[in-house]
Order: sequence, then structure tokens, then C-alpha cells
Amino acid sequence: MSRILEIDDLAVDFDTRFGRVRALDGVSVGLEAGETLGLVGESGCGKSITALAVMGLVPTPPGRIGAGSIRFCGEELIKAPKSRLRNLRGAEIAMIFQEPMSSLNPVFTVEDQIVEAIMLHRPIEYDAARREAVALLERVGIPEAAQRARDYPHQLSGGMRQRVMIAMAVSCRPRVLIADEPTTALDVTVQAQIFDLLGEIQHEFGVAIILITHDMGVISEMADRVAVMYAGRIIEEAGADDVLDHPQHPYTRGLIACIPTLEDDASLREIPGVVPPLHALGRGCAFADRCAYMDARCRRERPALAPTGHHANACLAVAEGRL
Amino acid sequence: MDESAQSPAAEAWIAFCHNIPALAGLLILLGIVALTLYGTLFYAGDAYEIVWAPHEKPLTESDFPLGTDYLGRDIVAGLIAGGGPTLAVGLCAALLTMVIGIAFGALAGYYGGWVDIVLMRITEFFQVLPALLFAMVLVTLFSPSLVTIAIAIGVVSWPQTARLTRAEFLKIKELEYVTAARAIGTRDRRIIWKVILPNAAPPLIVSATLTVGVAILFEAGISFLGLGDPNTMSWGLMIGMNREYILDAWWPVTFPGLAIFLTVFSVSLLGDGINDAFNPRLRER
Amino acid sequence: MSGSYLIKRLLWGVLLMAGVVVLNFLLIRLAPGDAALVIAGEMGGASEEMLASIRKEYGLDRPLMVQLGLYLADMARLDFGQSFYFNQPVTGLIAQRVGATILLVIVAQLLAIFIGVVLGVLAARNPGGPMSAFVSVFATIGYAVPVFWTGIMLIILFASVLPIFPVEGMQSVKLREAGIIVKSLDILHHLVLPAFTLAVIYLAQYARLSRASMLEVLGSDYIRTARAKGASEASVLFKHALRNAALPILTVAGLQFGNLISGALLVETVFNWPGMGRLAFDSILRRDHPTILGVLFFSAAMVVVANLLTDLAYRFADPRLRGRT
Repeated sequence: MSRILEIDDLAVDFDTRFGRVRALDGVSVGLEAGETLGLVGESGCGKSITALAVMGLVPTPPGRIGAGSIRFCGEELIKAPKSRLRNLRGAEIAMIFQEPMSSLNPVFTVEDQIVEAIMLHRPIEYDAARREAVALLERVGIPEAAQRARDYPHQLSGGMRQRVMIAMAVSCRPRVLIADEPTTALDVTVQAQIFDLLGEIQHEFGVAIILITHDMGVISEMADRVAVMYAGRIIEEAGADDVLDHPQHPYTRGLIACIPTLEDDASLREIPGVVPPLHALGRGCAFADRCAYMDARCRRERPALAPTGHHANACLAVAEGRL
Repeated sequence: MDESAQSPAAEAWIAFCHNIPALAGLLILLGIVALTLYGTLFYAGDAYEIVWAPHEKPLTESDFPLGTDYLGRDIVAGLIAGGGPTLAVGLCAALLTMVIGIAFGALAGYYGGWVDIVLMRITEFFQVLPALLFAMVLVTLFSPSLVTIAIAIGVVSWPQTARLTRAEFLKIKELEYVTAARAIGTRDRRIIWKVILPNAAPPLIVSATLTVGVAILFEAGISFLGLGDPNTMSWGLMIGMNREYILDAWWPVTFPGLAIFLTVFSVSLLGDGINDAFNPRLRER
Repeated sequence: MSGSYLIKRLLWGVLLMAGVVVLNFLLIRLAPGDAALVIAGEMGGASEEMLASIRKEYGLDRPLMVQLGLYLADMARLDFGQSFYFNQPVTGLIAQRVGATILLVIVAQLLAIFIGVVLGVLAARNPGGPMSAFVSVFATIGYAVPVFWTGIMLIILFASVLPIFPVEGMQSVKLREAGIIVKSLDILHHLVLPAFTLAVIYLAQYARLSRASMLEVLGSDYIRTARAKGASEASVLFKHALRNAALPILTVAGLQFGNLISGALLVETVFNWPGMGRLAFDSILRRDHPTILGVLFFSAAMVVVANLLTDLAYRFADPRLRGRT
């Protein structure tokens, strides 16, 4: 397999009323062609900002890329001209979002929005693009696609809208698809359908997926590899089975303890404490306040992501064998 | 967030004090009010008397710093005398606008149902009438006095206030503390005026400020057309009277116009400032 | 769009106009003094015979409800009686002038919306930038300037300093006999200053409104989707964002029509524009009440029609409202 996307030491800063804060710090992660990389963490940990950085869509101002590089098939994206990024977006790297209810433009028909995506990147006649849009809608499982294509977003259910978003995202056969919590806003039954669809699409189109979620259960279903994020950093990275069976970082352990099982509705359980605000991060480990294994050194030093075999983690307790 | 516990009004006041345009507005407005109220103490000119040759240029004769009008009346004296009626009519009209508008909007928003339908249909009806034209008709059919003008402006301006009040009431009446008040058997009248209205106050205060500005412009327009009380000096009237001679003398129309502009401008800066003070989220933008 | 909705709106419009007629009737009754004198107008030089004929025509000696019925019947035939100052039927007087007012109001409205929206969109692109600051300041100034004074200042400027636009009237006398194209251009030339004067206030408001509306829309999820598709910045701003931001602008544009007509009244007076506003002013000064009430009726009718059109446009522009009643 070949690395299709390579993020290296990426940092993103935001200007807030507390001054400049580093929302992403030293994030390095790679994506192989055709695989699914799970990006896991609680809200505000930097998952979505990583995605936006890859898309070249970090809102500027207040945000800006502070350091690092993002390479797509070897091509550097950080300093790439805007027009080049525009050509890549939608064509090579596509994205679907958390809120299908508001992610489609309410004043255009579903068909118009897919046709636009197709015609932006491919030399194709309008009529052919329309036929293709309908075929895509059929493919993502929208019944009576030809009629539904003329509908406006408000006439469709949430699940249907997310299917439309997926059809739009894959319309130009991208090589990378970023799915940012694609099912959070949907019913549980619909969630499973959407993940099944994503899996099928991945097989058929050979697209690599970055799946952003806070739900370790989803990871166990979907992901090949996992990167766990906390407070703007990656704190653990390994194959999905590895992470699920042998989690190392205390934070990851906490997340896995929250996967519901048949006997125990653990989704109601939570890791105690809250993610510290980015402007209030001290010198030490960002997780220290919530960690049962914390000691004085954890307060002083911020651990780096240290590989142990194929399994990387950033925890002093693990490194010292205290855990 | 600020940790110290302050009442929203105190927080708004602090925010207001940090808002330079708003403070400037307040200062200009106070200056204008002071000039119209106490100007005669410092400046002994008569606005109605012909005191000099017509169309004396400004800054040529030290007794008449802004020159004289087409009859030879002192413009500075006119500005001082004309401010009072303009401001008074503006204030009274705005007050009337708020009273009618809040009453309509509060009842419609609180009771809903057919009360809402009927009251809002009446509001829509008044919005169909071009306000200035209707005010002019009222003023001419009845006698052209300051009181008539203030009433006429109030009668034509309230629909917007009513809509705003109604929207606020619709929003607030669903909140828990209103439900709680109802649950303990508080009477409707008390809920409307003592529970909901104080919480709807911020947008209404802003709207009231802007209404004062609009009312001043209305009064100026009516006086400009010569439909006001011909015996009371006002800024609009000064412009209207000197209108025929603008190509001979620019100053008799320019200064009263500037006075109107400055007044409304400062009122509107003040309104924006109050608005920003009550909406900290917008302030951060 | 459903037909029943349209019919409902039309019926409501007719009802509103009936309301205006009743209000007119009440105004004449409530005004102090003899109703016949009020109708004739104090400047009409009403003779005893004239007053008698008015009393007969309006049935002033009959019960109030009968009088109202007679009045409503007259209005339904668009018969507003005789103007005593102009000595002509009021309907004819208005018919001669309503076109000039509609031209002025619509051109000013379009001018204001177009320039205002462009300014607002440019400002919204960079909320902390100089364009944004300009729009805020300009909007506050535009709101505070009395429209008639703007007109006068422009007249002073363009009559003496920079005589490139006519400052008075609607047509040049020497071009009265010219061809239709020359005449149209001449009218447009005369229209520049009045339309601009009237547009300035609303221009400022539309700029501020479209800035706020665009800022809100630009933060929405579907704009992020459009960018993620690879749409160009121009397409994001003017296609995806503006189509949505235009909805509140449209609402306000509809509500502004009444104010525009009020403003036109002042602007027409300042620039001697031969429209209904000028007619209203002349007839108010002469206390020519039938004409005043006729103008009030027609102005209200224009607002009703404008509101109806806005409503239909809104339902067309927002698919979420289509098909609802």
C-alpha cells in the first residue's frame, strides 16, 4: 500500500479573546490508499480542525496553520495556491459533515447540488451530469431517485440527506473521503445503514476514509487504524484491533470502557472531568487532571508520542511501566 | 467569562462605557439638548425678529456668526429656538409610539389565538398607509400644532414596535420562569407587565432610541413642507422657508440640516451602543 | 405555488383597501367643522351652491351608515369626486401622476438594493476590514440625514458647482416634441438626482442588513459544503450565500415600500418631480381634501400591491415555503 495522505507535525493556531491558542499541536498521521483511519476523541480535541486543515478550510481569521506539512500523493498542500486547493477539494479529497440537516443548501434542489459538484471538476455536459447525479442517488440507496433528485433538502429525511451528501462527495471519485461524525445527528437504525453504505462505497470506489468520531463502538465496526486525539494532540495510534484489545493510554482505556455492551449500557458512563480549555493548558500532560495514574512528573512534562512497536502512545505512566 | 457576579444591567453599563462611538453620541446629544435649553442664556438673539440685512454670509459679522436668512433673521438664534420643539415632538412621538406598540405587541404575543390575529391584522393595516402622507393628512385635517404633529407621528410609527414586542413576547412566554409564574397562579396582567415586559426591555429600549430618531426626522419633514405650526420655529421649518433661495445662499438651509443630522446621528450612535451593550455576543465580533 | 394562497392574499388586499376607505370616511367625520366644508376644503372657495351639491352627493343629511355605503360605492368605482383646486376629477389627476411616482420609487428601490447588497456582500467578506467599517458608518449616517436636506444639498452642488444633471422637473421643455428614445433618455437624466437622493437612506439600510445577513449565512454548514466541493469564492459568495441571504433582504424591501412612498413625497417636492407626492403636497396646502384622500388611497393601494408581489417573490425564492397555504 502507498501513503496517499501524510500529515506531519501539523500545528493550527486560533486567535481567541484569551489570546492565541494552539488548537492542534504536532499532529502527525498518515493515510494509506483504500484504508479507513479512525480519528477519535471527545468534542473540542482537534479532530474536526485536522479535517478542515486537510481540506484547506481552516477559517482564517481567526485560525491559521502554525507549522507542519500536509502532503497529498507527495504534493505539499500547506503552501499550495488557493486555486490548486480548490481543484483538489471535491475532486480528490471530499468531505461529509456532521449535520445533514444543515449541510445542504436549502434553496437548491438535490440534483443541482450534485451536478454542481460533478461539473466543477469534470469536463461533462449538463445533461450527462444530471443522469450521473440520478445514478449516484440510486447507488446511495435513495428510492425513486429520479423524482427525489428534484426535491429540495427540506423534503428529505436526515438519513436521506446524509445519503445525498455521500453521493455528492463521491461524485468525482475522490481518493480521500473525510467523514466528520457522519451519523451523530441521526437515529440509531439509520446510523448503521449509513456506515454500511460507507463501507460499500469504500469497496466499490477504492476510496480511503478518515472517519472522525467520538464513539469507540463505531471504530470497532469501521476502522483499520486508529489515532486517538486529546487537547489538540495525538496521544495513541495503532491498528484498530490493537487499540481496542490492548489500549495503552489511560484516556483510550476510558473511551473503550464507554462502549456499550449487551449487559451494560456503558454509554451512560463517562470519563470523569472535562477537557481543559486550550488557553489553560499547562506545561504537563493535558490529561493529567482526569488521570488516575498521574504523578508529579506528569504535571511537569508533556509526553511525546513514543512508538512501542506498531503501537504509539504519549503517556509517561506507560513509559515508566507504572501502568 | 467574567467570574464576578454582576447584574446584566451593570454589565451592559460597563460595556457601554467602553464603547467610544456610543459615548460620543451621548455627549453630542447632551450638548444639543443643553444648547436648546440654555442657549438663550449665553446667546441673546431673537429667532423671529428681523435683525439685519438678508443673506448675510456666515463668519463675516461677529453678531451673527452663522449669518442671516432670506428675511434677515439670525440663524444661530433660529437654531437655538428651533431645537426645543423638534426634540420635544420627537420625544413625545416616540413615547406614544412605544406605548401603543408595546400594548398591541404584548397583548398579541401573550394571548395568541384570535387576539393575536385581530391585533396583527390591525397592525398590518397601519403598515399599508405611507406613514408621512398619513401623518400629513392628520395634521391638516386637525389643527397644525406641536401636539397634533406628535400624535400623528405616534399614530403612524407604532406597527414596527408592535411587531418587535410581539416577537419578544412569543419567545419569552415559553421560558420556564413564565411557566412557573403561571403555575403559582399569577394573574395574566401581572405576568405581562411585571414578568415578561422587564425581560423584553433591552431590545425595546434600543427600538425606543431609534424611534426618537425617526420621529425627529418625521417632524423635520412635516415642518419642512410647511405643514407644522407656522408660528413655532423648528429646524425643518427653517429649511423649508429658505428653500426658494438656496441658489443665492446655501447657509440658511445647511446649518439647520446639519443640526437635524447631528441629533439623529447621535441618537442612533446611542441606540447602537445600547444594543451592543445588551448583546455581548455581537460585541465580540 | 398554490392558487388558494394567492386568492387568500388577494382577498386580504381588497379588505385592506376597504379599510383604508372606511378610515378616509372616518377622518372626514372626525375632523372638526362641517363635513361638507371639510370635503370642499377651506381654500376651495366653496359657495353655498357648491356645499349644497356636496351635501347631496355625499348624502350628508342621511344616516351615517348610508353615507358610508354611498362613499364605499363611490370608491369601488374609483370615483374620488372633484378636486376643487384643480377643478378636475381626482382620479384623472392621480392617473396623470402615478406613473412618475412609480418610476421614481422603483428606480430608487432597485438602485438602493443593488448598491446596498454589493456593499454589504463586500463588507461581509471581511467582517473586521475597512469595507465593513465603512458600511457601518455609512449606514448610520444614511439613516440620520433628512432626505429632503440631501436633495437640497445635491441641488446646490449640481446647480452651481457641477451642472451635469438637471435639478428640477422630469422633462426638458425643448425636448417635449422629440422622439421616444430621446425623451426616455431625457427623463432618465432628470431621474438621476431624485432617485439617488431617495435611494441613499435605503441603500445604507440594505448595506447594513445584507452585511449582517451574509455574515450569518457564511457561517452556515452548507457554505462549508460548497467550499468542500471546490466551488470558487465568487460562486460561494454570490450563488450559495447570496441566494439565502437575499431572503431577509426581500422581506425588508417589501416592508420599505410604504416608507419609500413617504420619502418620495419629500423628494418630489424638493425636485419638482410631477408625481403623486407633489400632488399631495399641493393639495394639502390648498386643503383640497378629495384629492388628499384619493392620493392616500392610491398610495396605500401601491403598498398593498408591492406587499403582495414581495410575498409571492419570497415564496418563489424560498422553496421551503412553496406549496404552503
